[in-house]
Amino acid sequence: MRRELQFLGLFLACMAGLGAILPGVHLLALNQHLFLALNVLALNFCLGLGGQASMASGAFCGFGAYAAVILLERWPGGTLLIVPAVALAAFLLAAMISKPLEKLGEGFLAMATLCLGLIFVNLVLSFTGFTGGSNGMMVQAAPSLPLLGPLKGDRANFLALLGLIGLSGYVFSAVRHSRLGRALMACKDDALAASSCGIDRLSARAVSFGLGGAVSAMAGMMLANSTGFISPGQFDLGLSLKTLLFLVIGGPGRLVRPLAAVVVLESLIAWFHSLGEATILVHGLILAAALIAGYWRETGLPRLLLR
Amino acid sequence: MFALYLAQAVNSGLALGAVYGLMALGFSLVYNSSRLINFAQGELLLLGGLVLYSLSQAFQLGPVTALAATAVFGFLLGHVLYASTLGVMLTAKPLRQLMLTVAASLIWQGAAILLWGKNPLKLDQFIALPAFRAGPVFLSANTVTSLALAVASVCVLSAFLGLTRTGRAIRAVSMNALAARLQGVNPVRAQALSFALSGVLAALAALSIGPQTMLRYDMGFGLGLKGFVAATLGGYSSLSRVFLGGILLGVVEAALTLAFSADLKETLTYALLVGLLVLAPAPQHRREKV
Repeated sequence: MRRELQFLGLFLACMAGLGAILPGVHLLALNQHLFLALNVLALNFCLGLGGQASMASGAFCGFGAYAAVILLERWPGGTLLIVPAVALAAFLLAAMISKPLEKLGEGFLAMATLCLGLIFVNLVLSFTGFTGGSNGMMVQAAPSLPLLGPLKGDRANFLALLGLIGLSGYVFSAVRHSRLGRALMACKDDALAASSCGIDRLSARAVSFGLGGAVSAMAGMMLANSTGFISPGQFDLGLSLKTLLFLVIGGPGRLVRPLAAVVVLESLIAWFHSLGEATILVHGLILAAALIAGYWRETGLPRLLLR
Repeated sequence: MFALYLAQAVNSGLALGAVYGLMALGFSLVYNSSRLINFAQGELLLLGGLVLYSLSQAFQLGPVTALAATAVFGFLLGHVLYASTLGVMLTAKPLRQLMLTVAASLIWQGAAILLWGKNPLKLDQFIALPAFRAGPVFLSANTVTSLALAVASVCVLSAFLGLTRTGRAIRAVSMNALAARLQGVNPVRAQALSFALSGVLAALAALSIGPQTMLRYDMGFGLGLKGFVAATLGGYSSLSRVFLGGILLGVVEAALTLAFSADLKETLTYALLVGLLVLAPAPQHRREKV
């Protein structure tokens, strides 16, 4: 665990160093990458610990963003109450959803959670009175902390994102090396054997799914504050797919590698944005190459070739 | 007035249901042979339709040549998809295979944008059957054509899987890949063939839907997902039930459009899928991947 946290510290230090030298526009882009990294970390609780491939990241992220923006607009001074309350609500919602879905296999769980993501977007579009529908919502009030004041500006959001990644990474590592983490690993390796050993699979996985939902909701709150505007398009299927893709590329269950994969690959993809209509094709090619390279590495093909 | 609306809903529901049914058949063929949920199924429809569009611009296609071209290019596209996804990572973890189909879907969509642009393209109606009217029931020419095409496809596919040696090999791999291998069947070849057949079915679906809604670079994912819902509704095991799942989904969707807004209709459709997945006995528990 110590070694893992050392690597996380190194990653955060590198990011902090990068953030210190980057100018405004690039810092905004880095914030977007870190937002995605936080989402990947959130999904790691579900997939890396519990072995559940979820595509509802966008939904939980959007839930956090919309709930925080709506509540902060009504009670601008209630940050200390609203942020934990929204995270707790996301935890409970995710844990509740996880129970009936637990029995589904990897692919079917992914499809069911993908539908939950689509349902969330459609509900946001339907209830225009609350959410602004497809036009989205302006963020009226930034979260404000005692002594620190309102969280405004790219640099403040950057530091808050780093802090959240550090905290979530620590929780991830602590859970993995706890009794619950070992139970989750057993469920992931062999669900039937885990049940016969007396592990309450539903509850253990509900906790990991809930933690993932809560971290995603926090990421959503950060995104809303960072961009100053939210719309359903920010939390659509693309976000969930990207999150799962990066986690699969980085390796579910690992702490730092998926985060590094997000920063490196997202920067690479952003670099190719100038290609215009070829952008989607290049995105696909980069992701496919990363997936195939990861598979070759797992099967030891590079070593075979070197021999 | 209500009866008129209902007749219209049945008409459009059947037309859409035929397309969903074809997509669902492709999904279940691939799922049964390889236990893989193919995210790029919708892109097979898109590319199949676009290739046919280009062919129709270059040559004068009659009904028979259009059908033959659909079958040939659908088969080839399905094979290419297999070779670039499952074929590359046969022994990978299922989640990595599934994610590679997501990446393939992006690549194919990107290729469609580069080659055909982002504007919707209208596919000609190559097979024109007459409209049908019986009392209050009215089926437009498009609906009759889509239904006829879909039903004929189900019959041909059933005959192929039931009567030919290759078809029986695919079914054997679907039931038990290890036992099939012990009997001399090559499971990899059967999986590749399932992809190719699902490519043919997707291209036929494009032939049905192209003249109705036009072909757009981003239409694949939504249709693929509806195919998955239909396949789940049909239970994956029987061709006719899977196809009927598609028809049912199309009609239910059209009826929901009458009562609710489009967004709420989508919400209810996806909620139906989640409910089905949770409540229905899941096919993934039946067999382990070999």
